[in-house]
Amino acid sequence: MLAYVGRRVLLAVFTVWAISVLSFAIIQLPPGDYVTSYIAQMASSGSVVTEEEAQNLRIQYGLGQPIYVQYLKWMKLVVRGDFGQSMEWKRPVIEVIGDRLWLTVVISVAALILTWVLALPIGIYSAVRQYSPGDYLATFVGFIGLAVPNFLLALVLLYLGFVLFNAHIGGLFTPELQDAPWSAARAWDLAKHLPIPALILGLAGTAQQVRIMRANLLDELRKPYVVTARSKGLSELRVILKYPVRMALNPFASTIGYTLPYIVSGSIIVSLVLGLPTVGPLLLKALIAQDMFLAGTIVLLLGVMTVIGTLLSDILLVWIDPRIRIEET
Amino acid sequence: MTTRWSRLTAVLVVGFLSGAVAVGALAQSAGKTSLVGKLEGPEVVTDAGKAPKAFKEAPQLAALVKAGKLPPVAERIGQDPLVIKPLKEIGKYGGTWRAGFTGPADFWNGFRCCSGPDHLMFWDYTGDKAVPNLARGLEMQDGGRAWLVRLRRGMKWSDGKPFTSDDFVFWFEDIYRNKDLNPTPSAAMAINGKQGVIEKVDTYTVRFKFLEPYYMFPDVLAGSTDLAGQWGAYKSMGGFAPAHYLKQFHPRYVGEAELDKKAKDAKFDSWVRLFVYKNDWALNPDLPVLSAWKTATPINTPTWTLERNPYSVFVDTAGNQLPYIDKVVLTLAENLEVLNLRAIAGEYDYASRHVDLGKLPVFLENQAKGNYKVYLDPGDYCDLIIKFNLNYDADPELGKWFNTADFRRALSLGIDRDQINETFWLGTGTPGSVVPVDSNKYNPGPQYRKLWSTLDIKKANEMLDKIGLAKKDAQGYRMRADGKGRLRIEIMTLGGQFVQYTQISEMIREQWKKIGIDLQVQEVERSLALKRTAANEQQLAAWNNDGSEHLFTFPQHVFPFELAAVATSGPHWVKWFHSAGEQGKEPEPRMKELMEKWKKAFGVPEKERIQLGKDIWRIAAEEVYIIGVVGQGPAAMGVRVVKNNMGNIPSRMYNSPDAKTPGISRPATFYYK
Repeated sequence: MLAYVGRRVLLAVFTVWAISVLSFAIIQLPPGDYVTSYIAQMASSGSVVTEEEAQNLRIQYGLGQPIYVQYLKWMKLVVRGDFGQSMEWKRPVIEVIGDRLWLTVVISVAALILTWVLALPIGIYSAVRQYSPGDYLATFVGFIGLAVPNFLLALVLLYLGFVLFNAHIGGLFTPELQDAPWSAARAWDLAKHLPIPALILGLAGTAQQVRIMRANLLDELRKPYVVTARSKGLSELRVILKYPVRMALNPFASTIGYTLPYIVSGSIIVSLVLGLPTVGPLLLKALIAQDMFLAGTIVLLLGVMTVIGTLLSDILLVWIDPRIRIEET
Repeated sequence: MTTRWSRLTAVLVVGFLSGAVAVGALAQSAGKTSLVGKLEGPEVVTDAGKAPKAFKEAPQLAALVKAGKLPPVAERIGQDPLVIKPLKEIGKYGGTWRAGFTGPADFWNGFRCCSGPDHLMFWDYTGDKAVPNLARGLEMQDGGRAWLVRLRRGMKWSDGKPFTSDDFVFWFEDIYRNKDLNPTPSAAMAINGKQGVIEKVDTYTVRFKFLEPYYMFPDVLAGSTDLAGQWGAYKSMGGFAPAHYLKQFHPRYVGEAELDKKAKDAKFDSWVRLFVYKNDWALNPDLPVLSAWKTATPINTPTWTLERNPYSVFVDTAGNQLPYIDKVVLTLAENLEVLNLRAIAGEYDYASRHVDLGKLPVFLENQAKGNYKVYLDPGDYCDLIIKFNLNYDADPELGKWFNTADFRRALSLGIDRDQINETFWLGTGTPGSVVPVDSNKYNPGPQYRKLWSTLDIKKANEMLDKIGLAKKDAQGYRMRADGKGRLRIEIMTLGGQFVQYTQISEMIREQWKKIGIDLQVQEVERSLALKRTAANEQQLAAWNNDGSEHLFTFPQHVFPFELAAVATSGPHWVKWFHSAGEQGKEPEPRMKELMEKWKKAFGVPEKERIQLGKDIWRIAAEEVYIIGVVGQGPAAMGVRVVKNNMGNIPSRMYNSPDAKTPGISRPATFYYK
């Protein structure tokens, strides 16, 4: 077991390094650099940057150097726990991400909790009462939830919210409390703004998890050990929760690998549409502006989270499912 | 990723605006007339005899004075206030102006609303005449070779330190001429390529000296040029800078070791980046400024807040120190849809930047609910132009046609401008050539609006037949003269802009089928567009010519002037022009004539210059180097949404980057009723 974990950890470190190289290379792929996209942005707002100014900016940002020099420079910073300065925001990358990171975590965790609280019971119900009206309803709603792109849902809710309830458009705070220091009022304000994004973000996930839970549980319910448990005279609730549900949970454990990066990035598209100050839109903007250090750091962060998540789910699976343990050793 | 995003954008736009299309008729019935008002604006009172003798101030500042934390208001303003006669009435102090911005690159947003503007000279509300602004007066000497700038006595920076000629000398010697901060001299400081100098005359007088007559100088100080105040500071321009503050970050005044440590502590690679940061109006709240409001929380945070400058030199005719409004709060909008929806919902007090003309019907529908009024501020320029790359050499046959005047003219005649105007401008634009609005002083005459710019398919076909493109293929498209199949032209467009270039180009593609021209529309990402224009790979490109109404301070959409452009008329000619013929390629005779006239205009008196300006536009319209399609519309920042309780709002204002609109309407005089 220990050797297994050790091997995984080593592999993870290597993967993270590979991700850092790849992400830096990918960000460099589109034509131009931060200065070109800056010039273009100026042009669209009716301003002009001359060729000389552009050259000057390139020198200032060190963009004229070969890519491996830029990479090594960045790595030197990263190793020291300093991720450099964002070219666009002109602040340390850590601060720029830090501003948004915890808000992103709050939203994502809220969405995740909502997903699981809804999905597990509905999934179990659907499987146990297969082909009942309740199952049909859950299936119907589930498929709609899967089929409707959630940014579209976000747009519709945003518009309805404004037209019907005169709700504040987008964001997580009312403007008055945007920059206020933390207080009970501000926390309550956040809590009031949270349900809509959490619901939208959670809905597609919920639909998916309901389907997975239902399918897995249906497989398990037909197995002989369930009959055995029942014949031993256990109550129906115990029979289902104790054995087949536990087995059916396996896929949930293996998706943790994807859940972790999701928690720190949030959904990019939904965040954009709802105007949520999360890490997702920041990444998109950084990529468009070719803000190397910021984009690189976020991609690296997501990579690290994916690796850690995968590592966790590997270990978790070994722990909950003895069969995997045996195969490994 | 790209296709996914463009699909997403398409869905967003279509889905969200389906309602808008349905009520499109509403906008048309509301029409151009009721939404476009009379051009009006506040005026600067230049007669010192009419200046108020006693001053009043905002209650918060009065309290500070009472507490002994601030000198009395008269002392803060100085002997020579900058008096502005508000458009309608004397306002009241107080309130917060709420608006949106899109991130750190949107710094123009704040300069346009809140800087005052802090130019030495500035335009009157018509945008035509440069009048004294921060400068008390400007005096021409030595036949235009020297300009004496008189400063306002006792005027102060926002930290209370005097604003004097030393701030000009410091900027000139230590910023402008410092090779690390500014490796290349600015054209604004030169006439005929010869650099000028700045001299101190006395504490409140500065002399700009040039080797040849520089009659354009007042306009250069007024426009958004390199000598136009602190907005240019991020690129080491501006004309002046707060010497007393910036010296602590400059190697001439601080030891190298100490400065390196300062840069390191602030996590900058070099003193240069530290200096540029400290000298940034939008980023550094500590920077002393001369503007009406000053940055309180910087632009790289979710809320960009600007507060009144207690030392503001602006006053109204009753002696009230301006601005009236306490605070300007710009909140970060993650995307333009959210920004527009917030404006529709009435969450902004005043918004014009980033407001989408396509959503006009929705804005109108919600006027009462959002308690705001919609105004249109059409620009004086063309919202959609098509540039031919006259240096295109990747395909010599195409290059030849682009350089054939009748080819360009025929293509222009093949465009149905009315259809485009109705569809994309909801009928609010003016179809026509590239020349600026008729009232512009450089407009060559009303007949040039329509020259080669009306729909005439018959004539267009005749012209194309005549120049040697008579042969057509089975589908009715014209064949190349070199026998290599169909004549295919590509137009480059950018998405996500103020004007829907791609969609309009698609419509032109349909229209040009009638004259047998096969147009391919290619939407590209911005950086790619820049790369392709610089590499001479662009054939045609769609863009707008905003700023060109100020022909001499903003020439890049009249002739090839900038290499870093998203649409070019010819990169080789740009190089030729700037290297005085040493690099690049020599332009064709009429283009050369146009360039010569433009250069000449800087050194001649105004009357002659106006004639030269008219000549330039006449050549441009006759030669159709650039096709004008629809202009004088409100597409670029011309849809203005203003709360009903805001006062001193003009019913129409001059709309141009050169005038920092709404800066030209002096937002310092806006107030809450």
